[in-house]
Amino acid sequence: MSMKSTQYSEKTLDHFRNPRNVGTLEGDDVAMGRVGNPVCGDLMEIYIRIEDDRIKDIAFQTFGCGSAVATSSMITELVKGMTLDEAMKVTRSSVADALDGLPPVKMHCSNLAADALHAAIKNWREGIRPKDFSTEFPTYVGKGCSTPSHPVKGEEEFLGKGAYNNKPDPSELLDKRVLVFDTGDESAKFAVELDKHTGRVIFMTPSKEPAMDAGLKMELKKSDVKVLYESNLTEIKGEGEVEKVVVNDLDEDNQYELFVDAVVIIRED
Amino acid sequence: MEAELKSDVYLDYQSSKPVDPRVVEAMTPYFSELFGNPSSLHLDGDRATEVLESSREKIARFIGADNREIIFTSSATESNNLAVIGYAMRKKGKGNHIIISEVEHISILNIAKYLEKNGFEVTRVPVDQYARVNLKKIEARINERTILASIGYASNEVGTVQPMAEIADLLNSKGVALHTDAVAAEGLIPIDVREVPVDLMSLSSNDIYGPRGLGVLYVKKGTGVAPMILGGGQERGLRSGTENMPAIVGMAKAAEITGDEMTGETSRLATYRDRLIKGVLETIPKSYLNGHPSERLPNNAHFRFDAVEGESLLLSLKDKGISASTGSACSSKTLEPSHTLIASGLLHEEAHGSLEFTFGRFNRDSDVDRVLEALPGIVERLRGLSPLYEKE
Repeated sequence: MSMKSTQYSEKTLDHFRNPRNVGTLEGDDVAMGRVGNPVCGDLMEIYIRIEDDRIKDIAFQTFGCGSAVATSSMITELVKGMTLDEAMKVTRSSVADALDGLPPVKMHCSNLAADALHAAIKNWREGIRPKDFSTEFPTYVGKGCSTPSHPVKGEEEFLGKGAYNNKPDPSELLDKRVLVFDTGDESAKFAVELDKHTGRVIFMTPSKEPAMDAGLKMELKKSDVKVLYESNLTEIKGEGEVEKVVVNDLDEDNQYELFVDAVVIIRED
Repeated sequence: MEAELKSDVYLDYQSSKPVDPRVVEAMTPYFSELFGNPSSLHLDGDRATEVLESSREKIARFIGADNREIIFTSSATESNNLAVIGYAMRKKGKGNHIIISEVEHISILNIAKYLEKNGFEVTRVPVDQYARVNLKKIEARINERTILASIGYASNEVGTVQPMAEIADLLNSKGVALHTDAVAAEGLIPIDVREVPVDLMSLSSNDIYGPRGLGVLYVKKGTGVAPMILGGGQERGLRSGTENMPAIVGMAKAAEITGDEMTGETSRLATYRDRLIKGVLETIPKSYLNGHPSERLPNNAHFRFDAVEGESLLLSLKDKGISASTGSACSSKTLEPSHTLIASGLLHEEAHGSLEFTFGRFNRDSDVDRVLEALPGIVERLRGLSPLYEKE
């Protein structure tokens, strides 16, 4: 039977409406697996508490569509109490089957739940703990890429035509979509300041957690500045003026275009 | 199956509209009683011709056109094909360059791809953060081979209305023909080809509460278009096939009603829209309006919410009996997020969190209350599940 994209089984809807085991776990006996990418519309984290090589407790958090929520909820029920070897054998299709099937277009979501679980088990076995995700893992992906040392492709061509290598007067950027590249606290401060003048400010940083003054971090968080983590600027493009940039997603290792009207790379020379 | 077959709060008028009962009434006799074919020479044929032409006149009046400038087709999609491919084929001796915007309806995007495969060159004009086209950017892309530009009158997604009069003036001064897909705008803002001199314009019947299966292409006098469907030479040879009389009568009635009621109706819808926008932005943290703050269709409220995904929002609203729409990839066939939102400068994850409400003729004030009651809790619940939302 063919299903339309929103036609979920009753069981799937039940898990979406009343997800089981939502949350996080803490402790030395906990491992976590994280898969997905918010850029693709889904991010999933599964936490497992291990005792005698068994999953004693499990919890999840999911950003994603209805089936992403339902499959992560379902898998937590499926594997609770299993040994790690048994849980490694839970496949993508076992999750979908347990939900009485998923619409074909949603099958990739069921992959994520199994992948997140397997990642958690793998991390446990390799001794990687949830806290490592924020501390021991490298903060900067790619060394020395916080400031592009040489001009970004197109930067010189568009200087004065939407590209800036110093701090422009915010009044020049009213109503523009501005991308500010992370070149340190000055650039973050400028992004926050600019947010008061224009509707759209994107702060792009190659880092996962940019090192900056704590007060500034708070201000950035409170503002409407959109922070784009783990990303690098590859190229500036346009027809006579800046119209878009090519972004390199360092986490996923892929490239995409982002429409902007101005690019600010504050270079301290 | 406990799912309700019909939502009690329908807020997805951009994707489909009910046929107005007054339209159904006008159409009914043309199925079995008055079944004549306008091409026949007998009395039944003559009567059908009269009805066909008076219907054409009603639709012409709706947009300030002349009768002879109205061509009936089977859908706005067909009108887009006839306009863009038909014009390109007719003018290919003069040039092979066509301009469209980054925020066109999918039918125009796919027509553009087809033309690119067939020797034409297509350039896309970027839009600003509100999905609005900038005249200077169109001008910068015109060259000596440019024959046609196709720019939608308004966005069916984010509701932004394009500066069509200025665009038409610019293109007229450059000798480039202008086609516009006006489906999203028709019936919601006044459209008059005498004031906004476009050369070709696509309209749909259902979008003014007429029956499906009928579209119109306005072809300004003197504009040459090569037909796509060949046959008995109906519609001045531009679109062969026996006329769909019940639908034509229906669309004419729909145009008449819409024309008569537009002023009051659009201000009623704008009141709902404004109340919804204000309510959502005030009660839901990290919520934003997509599209232009003022140059927008009176019935369109389009939002995005940080850290929640649009299909989950739709599903949750469905549980509360509310129908809406989203630009999230998870609700599309291609699993790609809305190109309109991306062209407006949004990141993929932001486009995934978008939610569109479009009001229409049968909405009431209380429908706004229903959304404002349901939505904050839904967003909060989904954010509670989401690892992306930073809890304060």
